[in-house]
Amino acid sequence: MYNAGMSSSKPRTPYHEFYADDFMPRDHYRLLWDHIKATGNNALEAKAHESQLALQAEGVTFTVYGESEEGIERIWPFDLIPRIITAPEWTKIEAGLKQRVRALNLFLGDLYGEQKIIKDGVIPPELIYQGRDFRREIVGIVPPRGIYTHISGIDIIRDEQGEFLILEDNLRTPSGVSYMIENRVIERRILPEFFNKYRVRRVEHYPSLLLAALRSLSPRGKDTAEIVVLTPGIYNSAYFEHTFLAKEMGVELAEGRDMVTINDIVYLKTTTGLQRIDVIYRRIDDDFLDPLVFRSDSSLGVAGVINAWRAGNVAIVNAPGSGIADDKAVYPYVPDIIRYYLGQEPVLNNVPTYQMTNVKDREYVFDNMERMVIKAVSESGGYGMLMGPSSTPALRKEFMGLVQENPRNYIAQPVVYLSRHVCYMDGELEARHLDLRPYVIYGDDIEVVPGGLTRVALRKGSLVVNSSQGGGSKDTWVLAE
Amino acid sequence: MRYLIEHETVLEYPHTVREHHIELRLSPRSDGHQKVLSSVIETDPPSELSTYHDYFGNRADYFCVIPPHRTLITRLRSEVETLKENPFSFDPVPPAEEREWLNKELGANPALYDFILHRSLLTPAIDKLAEVIETAIPKRDGTRPMLESLLELQAWVSSQLEYRPGSTEVHGSLVTSVRQGGGVCQEFAHLFITVVRAWNIPARYVMGYLDPGISSTLETTLATHAWAEVLVPGAGWIGFDATHNLLANDHYVAVAIGRDSYDAAPQRGSFKGDSAGEQPEVTVTMQEIS
Repeated sequence: MYNAGMSSSKPRTPYHEFYADDFMPRDHYRLLWDHIKATGNNALEAKAHESQLALQAEGVTFTVYGESEEGIERIWPFDLIPRIITAPEWTKIEAGLKQRVRALNLFLGDLYGEQKIIKDGVIPPELIYQGRDFRREIVGIVPPRGIYTHISGIDIIRDEQGEFLILEDNLRTPSGVSYMIENRVIERRILPEFFNKYRVRRVEHYPSLLLAALRSLSPRGKDTAEIVVLTPGIYNSAYFEHTFLAKEMGVELAEGRDMVTINDIVYLKTTTGLQRIDVIYRRIDDDFLDPLVFRSDSSLGVAGVINAWRAGNVAIVNAPGSGIADDKAVYPYVPDIIRYYLGQEPVLNNVPTYQMTNVKDREYVFDNMERMVIKAVSESGGYGMLMGPSSTPALRKEFMGLVQENPRNYIAQPVVYLSRHVCYMDGELEARHLDLRPYVIYGDDIEVVPGGLTRVALRKGSLVVNSSQGGGSKDTWVLAE
Repeated sequence: MRYLIEHETVLEYPHTVREHHIELRLSPRSDGHQKVLSSVIETDPPSELSTYHDYFGNRADYFCVIPPHRTLITRLRSEVETLKENPFSFDPVPPAEEREWLNKELGANPALYDFILHRSLLTPAIDKLAEVIETAIPKRDGTRPMLESLLELQAWVSSQLEYRPGSTEVHGSLVTSVRQGGGVCQEFAHLFITVVRAWNIPARYVMGYLDPGISSTLETTLATHAWAEVLVPGAGWIGFDATHNLLANDHYVAVAIGRDSYDAAPQRGSFKGDSAGEQPEVTVTMQEIS
């Protein structure tokens, strides 16, 4: 087990972000608290209503996939009470994320290059060679400046002691950043007075940061960069975000069928003819990116795009193959990866993790399944997961079978009681669990946007914050010094 | 030996197709066992080819035909000199040191783990095979030279399957073929590889050509052949042709290698338009030249 350090003697009461104790809010929430007390629930109700109207008017939606094949489009669930992060807290988060993203990119470059970290015995070869997302097809291709993950969304939680821990790295096509911005737009509209009282750092410039990073990758130079956002189409759960980012950056939104590769150059089919493309911000998975190289049955991608990338004629963002670094079975090794490449101790720790390939770990997890979260390593969005405390004996038995069948495919973590925050729920202030996904852009340098998407488990007592599983969101305020 | 190899593939479609992208792994490898003297690929309609070497060191030639077309032909013409007259001529490592020899190779080149760890429908986990094979699957006796065990295994594989031309689909499940008791060279190679991997020894798939004078199979038209290579201590990669129960020598020309036949497929493509699952028409000639 890695990063052991969580003993059962520690308190099991979740950390409260808002309250210091039963009666008093934490210092940085005092102003907000006084205001809520002074204006009362009616004022909150009016503002909650106003925020709903604004989200509807703006068309801020996401798509949920349930039993029916076709998704249902819903209005983005937003809680108007902001989550506030102090400057010292943010300084640490920012340092931890920069360190992690730097190390993970060095790791990717090494894996697709010399593989020193395997030869030196730090990473077991099985972990990589049995990983679904290790892409042999791109070995030997070095992306511009050796950067693979231009955009990372890293999930952070706060444990019972209030320590920020890394829960998950999302290095493929992390989503949610459009909601970070929309939440801020709405919040500014409904709580304008607070943006004078609190010195809240800006997040709305994210699209311009992204655009600059994309331009910097253009093979023809940043001044002639033609960029597209490549979407799988309107049925994708993040389609709202794809249109949002394309519009905000002023670039084309395209599907695979709108593009064609001719002799290693990628073109967009436009009404005035073919237009050469320099940078593809793709929001489709590696598997579907190029039917010639990856899944041949994919109609979402662009045939020949990998060869165009190999030839250096187009940039693909994030680089194909990045997924092996956020494989959940690789996650327990990230602290060692940081030490190996940077010679530093991790600024932010991992959540303790059991590896199901390790027989002792596995037996321990099977004996304590009610206290564990079991996750499939290549899934995201809360799919393929067992939440021990709320699981049935039948489901636990099913997962035991799945783990035994393919141990490499699963990890387990003791349930961490995510920190709580007050939310305005149907006329009352109630505590709900939440996490945080900040966004890291790796362009000329690594930049962490001060804020992120705070996701809230709307169901009382629930620890699942994914919007696909009934999660909501809050605006996240990072305070200036 | 010197060979002239010609390999023509004709794809014909009932309706026009367009935006056709093709990647070929047709040109023989250059390695210690063979030297490529010349290798030319032509296409009809004519296209501009670009070339790179893939993860497994195979030469891949890539081109596209964008306008609508109904026929696409590729032709390879290659001259190769093969050098490995006697696959048994090497300095063997004592059986007690064979494992150490392999571990050293794996440590220096982790990519070799692919040839031990890879599992697919084509090279499944050994217990999946055990469910459909009636005889006991051979076990490796570590006190005996590895080459001996491998030769016995090869004989066992050739007795397990009956050679049935056209009996299997390309990249079909090995378990299905074994259950039906028959296959073509690709199944013989996959079955052999599957057992060698269960022994923790690196084994890889080879797609290539076999001198038609040697081939005893009943195929009336020559096409590509398939066999396996095993990393044998002291020797390096040795080719095992389980279809013929022979070690590969200078009558064999290797084209592409991989974890299984999928990696080493001679041609893969993607196009837009209606498809009725057309099978390419392949014509291969291989003749000795001086």
